[in-house]
Amino acid sequence: MKRDLHQFQGPPDTRFPNHETANTGSSSKDKMMKVKEEEDGGNMDELLAVLGYKVRSSEMAEVALKLEQLETMMGNVQEDGLSNLATDTVHYNPSELYSWLDNMLTEFNPPPPEINNSFLAGAGGSDYDLKAIPGNAIYARSNQFAIDSSSSSNQAGTTVTTTTTESTRSMVLVDSQENGVRLVHALMACAEAIQNNDLSIAEALVKQIGFLAVSQAGAMRKVATYFAEALARRIYRLSPPQTQIDHSLSDTLQMHFYETCPYLKFAHFTANQAILEAFEGKKRVHVIDFSMNQGLQWPALMQALALREGGPPVFRLTGIGPPAADNSDHLHEVGCKLAQLAEAIHVEFEYRGFVANSLADLDASMLELRPSEIEAVAVNSVFELHKLLGRTGGIEKVLGVVKQIKPVIFTVVEQESNHNGPVFLDRFTESLHYYSTLFDSLEGVPSSQDKVMSEVYLGKQICNLVACEGPDRVERHETLSQWANRFGTSGFAPAHLGSNAFKQASMLLALFNGGEGYSVEENNGCLMLGWHTRPLITTSAWKLLAAH
Amino acid sequence: MVEKNNNERQRVKLVPEFSINDHQDVLVEILRRLDGPSLCSAACVCRLWSAVARNDSIWEELCFRQVSPRPSLPLRSVVSALGGYKRLYFLCIRPVLARLPKIIWSHDQLQLSLSLYCVHYYERLYVGAWHEDAPPSAPPSSLMFLRKPVNVV
Repeated sequence: MKRDLHQFQGPPDTRFPNHETANTGSSSKDKMMKVKEEEDGGNMDELLAVLGYKVRSSEMAEVALKLEQLETMMGNVQEDGLSNLATDTVHYNPSELYSWLDNMLTEFNPPPPEINNSFLAGAGGSDYDLKAIPGNAIYARSNQFAIDSSSSSNQAGTTVTTTTTESTRSMVLVDSQENGVRLVHALMACAEAIQNNDLSIAEALVKQIGFLAVSQAGAMRKVATYFAEALARRIYRLSPPQTQIDHSLSDTLQMHFYETCPYLKFAHFTANQAILEAFEGKKRVHVIDFSMNQGLQWPALMQALALREGGPPVFRLTGIGPPAADNSDHLHEVGCKLAQLAEAIHVEFEYRGFVANSLADLDASMLELRPSEIEAVAVNSVFELHKLLGRTGGIEKVLGVVKQIKPVIFTVVEQESNHNGPVFLDRFTESLHYYSTLFDSLEGVPSSQDKVMSEVYLGKQICNLVACEGPDRVERHETLSQWANRFGTSGFAPAHLGSNAFKQASMLLALFNGGEGYSVEENNGCLMLGWHTRPLITTSAWKLLAAH
Repeated sequence: MVEKNNNERQRVKLVPEFSINDHQDVLVEILRRLDGPSLCSAACVCRLWSAVARNDSIWEELCFRQVSPRPSLPLRSVVSALGGYKRLYFLCIRPVLARLPKIIWSHDQLQLSLSLYCVHYYERLYVGAWHEDAPPSAPPSSLMFLRKPVNVV
């Protein structure tokens, strides 16, 4: 059953249905056909996927070759060779043709030991040495770990090798559960020592945490590593690896976080639903976004506005963000992309970008607001308000500006945890629980560069929380009740998020890994997304009290 | 149909055999009534059928078969602008259907799929700008969570 391998590479041409490979002379036509071939290749993959085969059509030629090789080899091998296969090997899913064939062939011809594994083995060697690792080296190790997983997952079909190496590691460990308990105790003791200013004890404990952390696997290891690094930085008074000015890096990291797990998507979708409902019947709408970043929240809102009953309104967006490190006008670029999208879906769009070092620098007069009879305004803030709590008067000023704007709705998404208490030890304990839960929820995600970057994103927050003080400490999270108090005294009343938002959120979570582990809760009209029983982020909506 | 031809042959001159490939509009009508896996099988049959299956109205029918009332015209222009129904089906609707099998396919799921599709379109606008150090064949996609690991195209 030998197929003509070229059949998969030639683009279909309806004029000549029996034509094998089109070899025309002109180069432009070749280029067009090549583009078409890539598109068709993509479509072929999807079609094969629906039929249950996980193989790329670009690999089909090689798959056919390998099938032939396998056939000849099986013909040549003697009986005992085959029975070996039956007992000792791990069989992979045959529908993943490419990797399955690869595996079968290597069973017959074991390759020389892979060189890239020695890198991992070298790192593994230092695991079992259990010598004390000083503070800075912990950070270097976590970088190494990050590079490990990203390089091994970049190879085609070798996600399997990373899991097998990890599983061999955990087989050799003993008493890892006991070590886990000791690890947590060591972390708490170290934080307490820092609180009491016993820096020498703290230093000794940090070193111990270092080699206890590597005895763990998975989420606990990563969390402990990040906390240990942050504690070390606090003890040795080292400044954090990157200052907060590097916004483009944190943008990229947030992008990866967006892709890996549902938290940001949940935030955007629920806030959008509240804004959509508040904008019902309005002909001109204006959204002021305190957390512009890459503008990922707005395509979905624009699409919903485009398809709403009665046609889309005129949509105006004002984006506010910090200055970019390389002075590029990145807010402007975001605006251009959104404008492109708006044009594609036929929504009239207007955009303005504002660069501000801090939200407290804003003034309502800068925003060019139009009278409220003409334009309905919504204000949106995702993970931005807590950064103002470090400056005295910061949050009051911003809430004052929001009141001057007179929005029909003010949507706020914040982390659900108190990391702003006056006592360091309390903050440390709370954040340890919070980030352990967060990292736990990431464990279900298959390893990829995205996942590593998401962990780095969270690690930066941990570092800021633990190692910085004063105005440098920007990650000052507070719980819903604390925010509700603050908003209530400033003149805002809660606007309940409807059942539509709840339904959309539940559906979205069901798409992530079957929704196992994630839970959506409603709390006084606000929606909380949590992992198992622990709420992690909260979306709330607020409107102005009539009297103010 | 062949039997009828045999009977008629006795009285009339030869009637040419019917080939579906000569009547592509009929083929389109037939394909529009298929479900997802059958349609994909049909699209793998030969190059002609693959080309016919690229007709977006077939996939539109597949996407909206269970939704009533049937969505309106503005939806069609928005979806075409975002990349067409076929891509919508593969990227969003099929994974969503696969992961939410017990839920009756209604307007809410459709809205969610459309939102995800829109975000995906927006990210593709960024393909050059963002991942400069990543290999160019790996565009960012927030729909990565809907894809199984091997199938990353």
